[in-house]
Amino acid sequence: MNQMEFSRRQMMALMGSAAAVAATGPAAAASEPLKLWTIGVAKVGGKDWSAMEAQSGISIAYNAKSARADEAIQKMVVGDGNALYDAMSDNGGGMEDALASQGVIAELDVSQIPNWANILPTYQDGGAAADTIRYEGKIVSVPYISNADSLAYNNTVIGADLTSWEALFDEQFRGRAAMQNDFGPTLTNTAIYLKESGKQDIENPSDMSAAEVKGVCQFLIDMKKKGQFRTFWDGFQNGVDLLASEEVLVSSCWEPIQVVSAKKSAQDIRYGTMKEGHQTWNNMFMLTKGGEERGQAENFYKLMNLYLSPWFGARTLATFGFTPQMQGVNEYVEAHPDDFDADAKATIAGRLANKQARLAIKGNSWQNVFPTNIRDYQDWWARVQAA
Amino acid sequence: MILIDRLARGAFLLPLVFMLVFFALPIALTAVWSVFERTMFWMEPGFTLFAYENFFTSARLWNFLASMYHSLIAVVICLVLGFPIAVFVHRRVPQVAQHRVVLLFILPFMVSEIIRIFALRPVLQRNGLVNETLQYLGITSEPITSILFTPTGVIIGEVLSFLPFIVFSGFLAMEAVPKYIFEVCEDLGASTFRIYKDVILPLAAPGIFAGSVFIFVNGIGVALLPNILGGPGAVNAGLIATQAIVALDFPLAMAVSAIMMVTLFGLLYLGHRLFDLTTILEPAR
Repeated sequence: MNQMEFSRRQMMALMGSAAAVAATGPAAAASEPLKLWTIGVAKVGGKDWSAMEAQSGISIAYNAKSARADEAIQKMVVGDGNALYDAMSDNGGGMEDALASQGVIAELDVSQIPNWANILPTYQDGGAAADTIRYEGKIVSVPYISNADSLAYNNTVIGADLTSWEALFDEQFRGRAAMQNDFGPTLTNTAIYLKESGKQDIENPSDMSAAEVKGVCQFLIDMKKKGQFRTFWDGFQNGVDLLASEEVLVSSCWEPIQVVSAKKSAQDIRYGTMKEGHQTWNNMFMLTKGGEERGQAENFYKLMNLYLSPWFGARTLATFGFTPQMQGVNEYVEAHPDDFDADAKATIAGRLANKQARLAIKGNSWQNVFPTNIRDYQDWWARVQAA
Repeated sequence: MILIDRLARGAFLLPLVFMLVFFALPIALTAVWSVFERTMFWMEPGFTLFAYENFFTSARLWNFLASMYHSLIAVVICLVLGFPIAVFVHRRVPQVAQHRVVLLFILPFMVSEIIRIFALRPVLQRNGLVNETLQYLGITSEPITSILFTPTGVIIGEVLSFLPFIVFSGFLAMEAVPKYIFEVCEDLGASTFRIYKDVILPLAAPGIFAGSVFIFVNGIGVALLPNILGGPGAVNAGLIATQAIVALDFPLAMAVSAIMMVTLFGLLYLGHRLFDLTTILEPAR
């Protein structure tokens, strides 16, 4: 991307929006900014939110949020989140149900979002991910990023492409493997491997029975006792450091960790497509009841329209490696050669192709924030830790 | 005038109010919430010991005991390294400079704890400073991997993080030991070991104990250490509580906190019975 060009365009857009505000009069100019509670990667186009504001035509008051579900639940259900925030983001496949069931988020009128027509088909009625944005059949959230988490591996050292989770448990990588220090993704990914490789009978890796959780954890305990894992990573920087320093050669992790560790180490650290499947997830925006009552629905829909535009999709893919939630990203990139140089185009096309390959795997399982037997997950995870 | 007097007297009550609101009340709430019933997203009033049963009959107990064991080792190492420093400063450094020398130990605390702990990684890791140096000198032929991401790494982190506390408390304790005692002991021909064992340690015991408790409790409570330096799934009590909160199991998190507080109060009670901790506050004789 040509930074100078981009800055110039930003300036033009800012001027345009300023003119629009002037034209619509003081009422619009005086409108309150949308108080947004979200994670840092929800923003693209610069170090601050100005590009997002310019593109959406609204004013944004950003409030930093962690990715922890417990924080969101506490703030919104028993705290003062509705008074503080007009819109918030969190994981699909659980959080929208949790928050909607508690009456703290509003039902959405997606006819107010022109780019909704452009959303990935998987979110349409009957689609594989349709439930992740709905509560009791009603749309309550808008997805803006998603992914199928996979295995990052150091191709420079290993010298081969890895296509199976088997590598994570293979003795040739003993002491050089890592998984996430979180029972959700770690147990789900392990369950996908055990199920698809025929090693254990597991009906649904996203929502296992107590016996299935026990089987998965006993497998991990056995691996841990053999010294398979160097560590379980916790936090973005920790995950990057492990791969970039060659402390581990294989790690089940988020794609941005692979992207940054490859850049940091200048090694060929790749993100594979696992033949057994992946844990898939999305992150979505919700309009809080408080935001709706304060008349922020219009601003919210304008911002959501941006999140479902290829402008955002191309940039989140190029910057963080997250999957755009709309169609037409490649076409958009092709139509904007000033924004995306040949390298950026190749990166975007490559990542998009890899994502499509990962998403096409039959064994993929959706992330489940609140599995039915969450206590068994917790208790058995403690045993894995103690082993 | 009467109003000013009353305000002045009221000002003395402020610390008491502060301690009640920000110390006693949270502790009481922690104990109460630990017996509440867990709900899907929060908890509701009730009385159940399920969270305690869950803790004591699960692997969490072993994780807790393991973190206590590692903390104990860190306390011993800190004592061995830190207390002689305190004695040295008290005996050998001119009185006018003693406090300045001790203050030097505050310097590392000017850097954020997470950065201090994370900075150990490039030192101890596979391609880190220690391994590169050992291999360069021909002492080892392969990287040593038994330091980082093991309990050893966590103990090293605890020692580096908390060593100053034993220096402070040791120095404070030594201030209560008159210098002439050393001279008397030496005049009587006592060996250095005997002076330490029979004179200095008993006199400084309350201060040493207080510093040790501080290190011990931080060792089992600071979640960053096992998170960054520990092996797969390494935890301490702080991390067990954090993970319970992440899973929205608030009564369990409260129970773990309550167990930590009982451990702390138990240690303080024991220390007080053995060493009379009030002597720490007595002026130097």
